[in-house]
Amino acid sequence: MAGIAAGGGRRSRLAPWLLVAPGILWLLAFYFIPTLPWYDGYARTFTDYHEHLARSFGYALTATIAAIVLGYPLAYVMAFRAGKLKNLLLGLVILPFFTTFLVRTFAWKTILNDGGPVVHLLGWLHLLPPAGRILNTVVAVIGGITYNFLPFMILPIYVSLEKIDRRLTEAAQDLYCNPRQAFLKVVLPLSLPGVLAGSLLTFIPASGDFLNAELLGSPNQKMLGSVIQGQFLTVRDYPLAAALSFVLMTIIMILVISYTRVLGTEDLA
Amino acid sequence: MSTTRTYDQQELEALVRRALSRRQFLGRTALAAGTLALGSSFATACKGKDATAGAGASAAATATKTVRVSNWPLYIDSATNGQFETATGIKVEYTEDVNDNNEFFAKIEEPLKRGQSIDRDVMVLTDWMAGRIIKLGYSQAIPTGPFPNKANLVDGLTNVGFDPGRAHSMPWMSGMTGLGYNPKKIGRELSSISDIFDPKFKGQVTMLTEMRDTLGLVMLGEGKDPGNCSLDDAKAAAAKIKKYRENGHIRAFTGNDYAEDLASGNIAVAIAWSGDIQGLAADNPDLRWIAPKEGAMLFSDNMLIPKTSDRPDLAATWMNYVYDPAHSAQIVVAAPYLSPVKGTAAELEKLDPALAKSQLVNPPEDVRARLHVFKWLEDAEDKTFNQLFQDAIGA
Repeated sequence: MAGIAAGGGRRSRLAPWLLVAPGILWLLAFYFIPTLPWYDGYARTFTDYHEHLARSFGYALTATIAAIVLGYPLAYVMAFRAGKLKNLLLGLVILPFFTTFLVRTFAWKTILNDGGPVVHLLGWLHLLPPAGRILNTVVAVIGGITYNFLPFMILPIYVSLEKIDRRLTEAAQDLYCNPRQAFLKVVLPLSLPGVLAGSLLTFIPASGDFLNAELLGSPNQKMLGSVIQGQFLTVRDYPLAAALSFVLMTIIMILVISYTRVLGTEDLA
Repeated sequence: MSTTRTYDQQELEALVRRALSRRQFLGRTALAAGTLALGSSFATACKGKDATAGAGASAAATATKTVRVSNWPLYIDSATNGQFETATGIKVEYTEDVNDNNEFFAKIEEPLKRGQSIDRDVMVLTDWMAGRIIKLGYSQAIPTGPFPNKANLVDGLTNVGFDPGRAHSMPWMSGMTGLGYNPKKIGRELSSISDIFDPKFKGQVTMLTEMRDTLGLVMLGEGKDPGNCSLDDAKAAAAKIKKYRENGHIRAFTGNDYAEDLASGNIAVAIAWSGDIQGLAADNPDLRWIAPKEGAMLFSDNMLIPKTSDRPDLAATWMNYVYDPAHSAQIVVAAPYLSPVKGTAAELEKLDPALAKSQLVNPPEDVRARLHVFKWLEDAEDKTFNQLFQDAIGA
């Protein structure tokens, strides 16, 4: 009996695959195979542009972590402690969107200027070596990415914190949790879907971003997005640019799928 | 392309003027009706300047029409387009959306290939890109009827390899690529291309993303002639750029935007276009531009009419207006490049005598002698050079 049931289950799982098989085979034969192994663009992504690739994901990852570190406490305060100020704080988080991405990034160029206040202050605190700079360094690029995507981290975390039933923390405290334990055992796990959504909303566009690297970085901070732009618009090697985009997309997809597998997606909405 | 310019050939100008006035006489008789209808506005249009008469007359036929112009930033003064509108009744939609030849080309290539409109009637592109567009058949001949001032083109530029007889293109401005710097900030004067690589300026150097300008200038520094260079010369220059990019000596590769960094003091030395520095000098009188002793690059930007423009006559009327020496001089005051319009020097003398003597708008013989034009690259070669350069600048 058990054997038959299992067999039936397998068949019904296979059936959809068999139904789409002709279509998939068609795509593989006439779309995928002609472009893949015979074209060296894919290989060049990993030989010529491995530095750009590593930077793209390294910067995106660092910026995502920085955004969680900066965004979570703010979202927490907004959801639980802000009281009447809640709407004001929400407004302030959204306010930067009223000017464009480009203008805000240009503003950072002025703020981080070599002769500007930030560099002077850090120099005075001896946090920056003499004749050191921030503009056109890794710090500026990652800072720029973090800044630009921070609201996409804060808002989903805020929403998931806001949804949490306050009685759950009260119950935790009734059961002898101190506030720290209540946070770690109740609030944090319940807000993870927000963190997950925020990380995806930050990491995916950040890894394809090139503007921050272009405007705030030096040529040694160029990300894969810059290369794609250059190949499309300057060299006009469209196949290579397409291959680079495809590799970037595939890697992002693999990372996203494994990430959601680990953390679970049921509550993503 | 010749590297010598003639700005004050009085005799030739006189000849040109005579030829012009004859043509305009004919034009005026034919358009007498238009003249009557226009009344006083026509009188304003041709006050003092015979050369604009043709343009003024055509206003009758083209009233409330619009000409759409795409040009580089910082390349015109703020008054000329308005004056053109008053004089001719033709509206100008002037957009500064050309920042990079390749990028602009990538934007317009597909629609032009399909024969679609790109909503532009005049576009300004550098020699080599103008040549490519003409060769691909993406431009149309410039109507000569509304363009009597075409004869004002300086002799050195009337015949270029990519457009014999200038049927499709007319130079907007010529410029030089050399070094821009602030002697007060760096504490000394510069004279050589090798100064760019002085270890003292580490992290304070920018170069241009325009391949021919940057690669050409570095080649000159290596003692090679960009007008007649081999692939190996390009490789050597690219390798040098790459080395200094990787060790952090070069801070950025830029378009016009190096200007802000130079003005704010973020950078010490920039590979810079001659006219930009003068524009910045209003706020930063210390900034200086030089043609290094090893040589500098010379380029011209050209006005073209896209194949799909449905108003070539309006485009030619606008070109006619800016080809008047007085109008050209007015533009040069705001964008101090080398005007390709005969008689501009004399007009500039009236507007801004100091600028008229500047090397930026009237380079002395010894500077002219060391100006170089990058050699013509066929498509495949162009791709190879660009690939080399993109790799060197890390993009």
